[in-house]
Amino acid sequence: MIPLRLGALMLVAVVVQVTVFSDVRILGVAPELLVLLAVMFGYWFGPQRGPTAAFVIGLFWDVYLPTPLGLSAIVFAMVAFAVAASGEELFRDSKLQLAAIAGVGTFAAVAGYALLGEVMGQRGLVDLEMLRVGLIAGLVNAVAAPLTRPVLAWSIGAQSGFGGASRSMISSG
Amino acid sequence: MALAQRTGRVRHRLILLTLVAITLLTVDLRGFESARAAQGFVRDLLHPVNSLATTIFSPVGDIWNSLFEYDDLEAENAALQQELDAMRGAAIQAEADSSAYQQLLESLDLPYAADVATVTARVERGPVGNFASDVVTINKGHRHGLTEGMTVVTGAGLVGRVERVDGVTSTVQLLSDPGLLVGVRLVSTDDVGLGHAVPGEPGMFIINQGPNWPKITDTALLPEIGSAVVTDNDSRYTADVPIGRVVEVRPAADELALEVLVEMANDVEDLAFVSVLITEQREDPPLVDVVPSTSVPLDLDPDLLDPPEEGGAGEVNQ
Repeated sequence: MIPLRLGALMLVAVVVQVTVFSDVRILGVAPELLVLLAVMFGYWFGPQRGPTAAFVIGLFWDVYLPTPLGLSAIVFAMVAFAVAASGEELFRDSKLQLAAIAGVGTFAAVAGYALLGEVMGQRGLVDLEMLRVGLIAGLVNAVAAPLTRPVLAWSIGAQSGFGGASRSMISSG
Repeated sequence: MALAQRTGRVRHRLILLTLVAITLLTVDLRGFESARAAQGFVRDLLHPVNSLATTIFSPVGDIWNSLFEYDDLEAENAALQQELDAMRGAAIQAEADSSAYQQLLESLDLPYAADVATVTARVERGPVGNFASDVVTINKGHRHGLTEGMTVVTGAGLVGRVERVDGVTSTVQLLSDPGLLVGVRLVSTDDVGLGHAVPGEPGMFIINQGPNWPKITDTALLPEIGSAVVTDNDSRYTADVPIGRVVEVRPAADELALEVLVEMANDVEDLAFVSVLITEQREDPPLVDVVPSTSVPLDLDPDLLDPPEEGGAGEVNQ
């Protein structure tokens, strides 16, 4: 049941990213919904399951991008792992902390994607525009991050709500 | 102990994910057809869902854009732009038709796009993500006869080329992508060169290289301002498709070569429908190997390398 719900969540996210966010842009930047999910997978699911879930959603995204298959997947997995590893050191959950992690994680994912893409032979990914995209997408995801809590909780059948034990609860869910 | 086991599992899983990603990247970069087919299969599989979602969510996009981009004004502007583009394209085409080069092509039985079958396609969506701004997805694919590399046009002229083809959709690389090189012909001088969009300057196209490309000192070879630029017959696009008009001729950074700045006839940022020319695809012409004058060609007879014997030169001179 859990894989089905998680798969459905990923599918809906990919469809929304591909269809809605090709039109709806904020200051010319498409919201990075899939990056947000990857970061939140790392945050909520921990270092064991988070990177794997992020890898899968990155792979979905790669299917639609002109960059080589696997590029987003590995970047998403690494960012999710970094978020999960750093998240373990944090003492309590708060919306502010969640927003900060989402913002920084999104920026790191955008920059990592561009840098690795350049290494793989793609051209024109690393420039000032990359910084602008990373900053705006990071801000948008920082604002949207708290909304992912109930959605992710539903996807693994855990209870929603913020609190000191929410992350461990959702992780063990 | 438990912590060490858990850390080990995490490490193993990360290594596994990295290896899978490296394998996928290698397979994709080496152009394995099965990898592309698999991606196309997934896109085709999700196409009905995406189409439905586009229909459902298009009002969301419209509302968003109307809030921030004055939708009515934009629609009116787009209609006027389309009309203007069509007129520009017709004018440029007429000029190309009347050129001597066009007559030469006709004499060689290669008239521009005569009887070329076309497939009209609707632009389904613009670029996805933030790093592929110069592509659009159209609603025609393999099943409609499209293959990679086909020329995409509107009434105004060249739009781009088909980059990726799935069953029922295709991705078009737009002319606005600076990485898209186009073989062009300057109608006023018949010079042939290679051009691309100017990064950071929407609607502008620059031509700065080509075989026998004129130097800035060749004043007799400078193209007229306002003259037409069309695709060349030897390019991988259908010949004589309008690209735009020359707006500036200037020296390149090295002060030697010529740079021709062209205003594109087509507004590729705002497309609703396009036509794909169903023609047989050609590869770019092979580059001629240039042998530096100081080196020895591989197929040179070794006997010719022997130094002339004494008096030999005299014999030749005699």
